[in-house]
Amino acid sequence: MAILEVRDISVSFGGIKPVRGVTFSVEAGSFTSIIGPNGAGKTSLFNLISGVNKIDAGEISFKGQTIHKLHAHEIASRGLVRTFQGAKVIKRLTVAENLMMAVQGNPGDSLWRFFTPRSRSKFEKHARELAMERLDRVGMTKYADDFAGILSGGQRKLLDLSRALMTNPSMILLDEPFAGVNPTLVEKLLEVLASMRKQHEITFLLIEHDLETVMNISERVIVMAEGKIIADGLPNSIYENEQVVDAYLGSRKRGA
Amino acid sequence: MEAFIQPGFWIFVLAMAGIYGVFSLGLQIQYGVAGVMNFGHVGMMAITGYAIAILVIRFQWSFWWAAFVGVALAALGGALLGLSTLRLSGDYFAIASIAFAEITRYWILNSDGITGGAQGTLAIPNPRGFGGYTDEPEVILTWIVDRLTPYLGDNASRDLAVLLVVWPFFFLFLWISARLQKTSWARVLRATREDDDVPRSLGKNVFRFRLQALIIGSVFGGIAGAFWAVQFMLLAPEDFLRIVTFYGWMILILAGATRVKGLAIAAIFFGFLYGATRFVEFWPISLLSAPERSYLRIFLIGVVLIALMVKRPQGLFGKRQEMVLE
Repeated sequence: MAILEVRDISVSFGGIKPVRGVTFSVEAGSFTSIIGPNGAGKTSLFNLISGVNKIDAGEISFKGQTIHKLHAHEIASRGLVRTFQGAKVIKRLTVAENLMMAVQGNPGDSLWRFFTPRSRSKFEKHARELAMERLDRVGMTKYADDFAGILSGGQRKLLDLSRALMTNPSMILLDEPFAGVNPTLVEKLLEVLASMRKQHEITFLLIEHDLETVMNISERVIVMAEGKIIADGLPNSIYENEQVVDAYLGSRKRGA
Repeated sequence: MEAFIQPGFWIFVLAMAGIYGVFSLGLQIQYGVAGVMNFGHVGMMAITGYAIAILVIRFQWSFWWAAFVGVALAALGGALLGLSTLRLSGDYFAIASIAFAEITRYWILNSDGITGGAQGTLAIPNPRGFGGYTDEPEVILTWIVDRLTPYLGDNASRDLAVLLVVWPFFFLFLWISARLQKTSWARVLRATREDDDVPRSLGKNVFRFRLQALIIGSVFGGIAGAFWAVQFMLLAPEDFLRIVTFYGWMILILAGATRVKGLAIAAIFFGFLYGATRFVEFWPISLLSAPERSYLRIFLIGVVLIALMVKRPQGLFGKRQEMVLE
């Protein structure tokens, strides 16, 4: 069953058309990677799916319901969350607070619950436990009460990913999670992703520059160039696609 | 220098500090928690003050109902300001909020028939033939003065009674606000200070949170306006100049925007600067004429703010790390 369906969507900002008639769907529980050169429209596509920008034409549906008219926060609360290019953490909240903010259904988010402190503090305790558990999995418990601003780039990536997972999502959009990350950390991130897939029924859609990195983890690779999809298929088949070789892989085709 | 050893001076300073403290508590929630730069806060004070005066004098409302409605109108003012302009990004909202306060003041200035115009509330036509609106709170203030007179003699002034009413409320509001800032509601707002996309991507309606913070801050601005109206017994448009908003900001910056607990002390410090500059008479300041000396206040406030920004950007009580972290 397709969890996400994107039908013929386009957007333009002034004279620039970053996404031009893109259509694809993603199966529930699958792991799909989108690759493509700079300016191919990958991040723009994510911004459209997650509601940060609105589409000019086409339709996006998630779990069978159209979502392209919803606000970003409404899409997120339906279980479609994203991470950001370059890993956004809230620097002036502590690491634990960054995670606790992501737990859904917090009664304390409503002003009226100010008058029911008991239910609030109960949930806070629960959220803190979830946060510590999550931090434990990425080996960052010792930073729990430090401001997230002190974290290194790699740790921020882990925190960003962990925070997306804290929302208990059905699907996560990952925007270049491996960019600028050293090889050992890439392995760690891949490990976290793999274990998340095993434990929860999460669908992943990932943007990546480098085909090699996502070869093993992806079940399917979509190649974008100039706002359009130019190839879509099993990772191995991508290497044989002439268009992809011309537009993106260039001399780095297999065996070269 | 005599003024400084007279209790009356300090009582006045503390009473004003309490009122300005409540005022800047509104800014603290808006800016310190939510990162919303409201430069039109004085507008809320004006709305509540004038609503009380008009409802009591013209319509013979009870002061208490008028105060309640006045604060509700300040909240409504905050909501209108927010709904129309809060989608603007930080600096632009700040400018729009100045416009809000100025529109309020000019409306008061030019609606003579309703507000008394430039002459202030004394000029509001009153069917009963006299101008005051503080009769009901006066009963309480007089009662307090009467109780204290046997012990304090002449020092048991009306200012002292106002002080004794305002400060418990100030502490109550500080306490409520400190509790509020421990909720996850405030945590979402603290996140939005830095970034909108992250809280949004986690399902938080950023606009709603900000609007709520703006409204709550406006309520405190309105309450400060009610205290102000009681303290001075008459209101005029020039009580609500832009500079008043920045007095509130100064207290906030002194205290450290992200910490609620410093506000009381910062408010007293400000009250002292504000009141004392009228009375400093030693050389070389005595070379200045009295009207010139009143500018000294604004000058001193500027010097203190600059010194603070250089030495302690987090304010007297803030956490440096939270302020300067990159």
